Amino acid sequence: MRLSRIRGARFVAVAAVVTLGVAACSSGGKEATTEDSSGGGNAAGSSGYTIAFVTHETPGDTFWDKIKSGAEQAAKDTGVTLKYSNDPDAAKQAVLIQNAVDSKVNGIATTLVTPDALAGSVKAATDAKIPVVGLNAGIDQYKKLGALMYFGSDETVAGTSAGTRITAEGAKHPLCVIHQAGSVALEARCAGVKSSAPGTENLQVNGTDDSAVTSTLQAKLTQDKSIDYVVTLGATVALDALKAKDASGSAAKVATFDLNTEIAQQIKDSKVEFSIDQQPYVQGYMAVTALYLNLKNGNDLGGGKPVLTGPSFVDKSNIDVILPFTQKNTR
Amino acid sequence: MTVMTDTLAEHADAQLRKGEPLIEMDGIGKSYGAIRALRGINLRVNAGEVTCVLGDNGAGKSTLIKIMSGLHPHNEGSLKVDGKELTFGSPREALDHGIATVYQDLAVVSLMEVWRNFFLGSELRAGKYPLAGLRIKEMKRIADEELRKMGIVVKDINQPIGTLSGGQRQCVAIARAVYFGARVLILDEPTAALGVKQSGVVLKYTAAARDAGLGVVFITHNPHHAYLVGDHFIILKLGGTVLDKKRSEVGLDELTTQMAGGDELTELSHELGR
Amino acid sequence: MTNVQTSPPPSTAPLPQPSNRVTLGLSNRLLARPEVGALVAAILIFIFFLVSAPAFRSGESFFTILYQSSTIGIVAVAVGMLMIGGEFDLSAGVITITAGLVNSMLCWNYGMNLWVGAVVSLVFCLFIGFVNGYLVMKTGIPSFLITLGTFFVLQGANLGVTKLVTGSVSSTDISKIDGFSSLQAVFASSFKVGPVTVWITVIWWILFVALAAWILQRTRTGNWIFAVGGNPDSARAVGVPLIKTKIGLFMTVSFLGWFVGMHLLYRFNTLQAGNGVGNEFLYIIAAVVGGTLLTGGYGNAIGVAIGAFIFGMTSLGIVYAGWDPNWFKAFLGVMLLLAVLVNLYVKRMSTARKVG
Repeated sequence: MRLSRIRGARFVAVAAVVTLGVAACSSGGKEATTEDSSGGGNAAGSSGYTIAFVTHETPGDTFWDKIKSGAEQAAKDTGVTLKYSNDPDAAKQAVLIQNAVDSKVNGIATTLVTPDALAGSVKAATDAKIPVVGLNAGIDQYKKLGALMYFGSDETVAGTSAGTRITAEGAKHPLCVIHQAGSVALEARCAGVKSSAPGTENLQVNGTDDSAVTSTLQAKLTQDKSIDYVVTLGATVALDALKAKDASGSAAKVATFDLNTEIAQQIKDSKVEFSIDQQPYVQGYMAVTALYLNLKNGNDLGGGKPVLTGPSFVDKSNIDVILPFTQKNTR
Repeated sequence: MTVMTDTLAEHADAQLRKGEPLIEMDGIGKSYGAIRALRGINLRVNAGEVTCVLGDNGAGKSTLIKIMSGLHPHNEGSLKVDGKELTFGSPREALDHGIATVYQDLAVVSLMEVWRNFFLGSELRAGKYPLAGLRIKEMKRIADEELRKMGIVVKDINQPIGTLSGGQRQCVAIARAVYFGARVLILDEPTAALGVKQSGVVLKYTAAARDAGLGVVFITHNPHHAYLVGDHFIILKLGGTVLDKKRSEVGLDELTTQMAGGDELTELSHELGR
Repeated sequence: MTNVQTSPPPSTAPLPQPSNRVTLGLSNRLLARPEVGALVAAILIFIFFLVSAPAFRSGESFFTILYQSSTIGIVAVAVGMLMIGGEFDLSAGVITITAGLVNSMLCWNYGMNLWVGAVVSLVFCLFIGFVNGYLVMKTGIPSFLITLGTFFVLQGANLGVTKLVTGSVSSTDISKIDGFSSLQAVFASSFKVGPVTVWITVIWWILFVALAAWILQRTRTGNWIFAVGGNPDSARAVGVPLIKTKIGLFMTVSFLGWFVGMHLLYRFNTLQAGNGVGNEFLYIIAAVVGGTLLTGGYGNAIGVAIGAFIFGMTSLGIVYAGWDPNWFKAFLGVMLLLAVLVNLYVKRMSTARKVG
């Protein structure tokens, strides 16, 4: 018994040494970076303000990650303490907003994707004299709910502009790919596309499984050879769409909403026609900064109208400028 | 009946000597948490003898069996097998020492075929490497033969054992233990679920096992069956021994009375006075 | 040794023959097998889609369906075996992503060869499988609950660790790291046979199914698996190594989870850390549709494969038929219910025809 234990320990030790050794002789990984702090700024909390940031993020979405990064950077730059919370369920998001009110934060930034469900909590905030700004969703209802400002894109406008552009490129039968069942925002985008590109057809895929997305798209492109354009609503879905397009031999063009490093590269390589970016980083950043300014100086942005962060088209014409920013996860 | 004893004679350990102590329990005790199921049990299982363990429900018979067959280890006292003191860590160890048990709840897997149940835990393989194939034809043939020797013919050796009657399942379990048990055969309430005729078969088997040199432990709460085959009798009550006598020292009446309650029964009959 | 009392050997007395012995006909025996019911259901669904979806009728479509079936089917084989052994594993879906993330981030961060990362990831996944099995056996808490806990831990860890290491919730591009192309060849390559593209996962799937079928039907280990699932106490009492068998089954699930994780990583390069959730139930569905009993002790590897194939056919058949995608989940549910019912009906029909 003891002997085999010693042997077992020795085996583990040898394995560890070998692993480390092989680790030393490989290349292609992370570039050795010099110590880089993510931008200076004041110490957290030095302004004395606490801001609650509530979203309907489903954990693991890279899109929301950018909003969070923007919010965190803004908090650093203005010396604000940021409290981030999220829940894709509307009722639970309402509770999170109520929590913020109860903890007597100085300001609340929240998405308003389900305005009716959130109205009660937002009212509680305004009654308690806590300023509220909306971001990302709820462009038509934010004022009615009592929010002071709004930072985001207009999904319908974004969808419509996408539709207009692809029609201009000659698309007769586009496919709009919805990767999350029952998402009002995603449905709105596709509805927008359809309004200016009437031949648009929707397709549901399971966004949490890349191989399922690829197979389903491949099946669709094989079944219907008349599809000439694929519009996806998320960056990773676009990457899967490219694979499906190659596998099915389809000649359809690909465009997408939202941006990430890989898609930026694909745009540069002309594989993806364009991306409609709503600049999530700046949504998060501005929501926090605007609250800070409002608390400190009583400033107000937008002139009573929403501050639009998109839609902004990223395509071959401006990709070179934008690419380095996507690599830093700020665009 | 000779065909049955053929199996026993074939599979019995050739080195058994009558009277040789196979299992010796001294002061064995077992507690489950705060409950003391057994205390101070002394038991000897000798080759070529039948030791009957009697007792009412809750007396501790099942616990005793579990200790001998390796299901649970004992807490107190010592267990010696072939003179060597040890504690069984698993039923596999007990089986490897030639101790085979027929459990009261039969230890069969209802959904599996009869032949798979027969060889469960002791399967015949075509080689020693990890994914070696089973010698299926051979196992089916042997299972079928052994059962026939016990007088049961199953309609289809491939049918799930759950489709057999209770008595038939019991016989499969006994045939299995006999086939694999080389030294000690433990029968836990073997006649409890059987009719008179089948009980007769089991008792004859018990006698044949004894004659082939095995040590047999026969657990029952039926003193008549016990007296038909036993060489040594132990009665358990509430985890302790109340009677421990050789055949020559005790008669059927005394056994029956003790089983039914002994002194308490005498008191009760006085009280009820009829 | 005492003398055994024998009477003169009865040379001519034959062993008793039963008068009502029934040798079941081949067709009956065939119908009673669980995978045949699933096969009938699969054939019915196949014909249904052949008729209603023109695009279903090509060789390329068939192999796309096989690909989709294989990514579910590979893990389903292990989950099916585990269910035969009487346990569930709800962490099987998320562990595929964990495997990929461990490999990807380890190598990207430390500049290691991807093969080393793959092996480390394998060891880690086997360890998770071991922990699952060990906890279930040691605590006696139902595996459904223990693996639910593991599922949540892994889901959170996938996100949290990825965010820590890469700064975002998806893993980074590893296609430039040493070893990528060779690993891709093993786990995520494809080859063309005429106009049809065959993915290597389909080949692996078939191999794993064959191996599982051999183990279950023809080896001692298979006997043990059926026993520990059918009646664990009985199994232990007759000397089957209960704990080792169950832990082994959990480790098999995590091994095949790692395998599919490797395929996902080397086909898609970057992984979303929140993926994999939801697949754990698909594996269980594939096993049940294939005739595996939820309570354990009964099932078949071929049946599980057919179950995965039914899932692939149904999910893609709906697309090929061009139906409204909003009804996708509903159609899938109806198809699966039908498959299970046909399976049950066929089994009942076969047992009812037994004589006596």
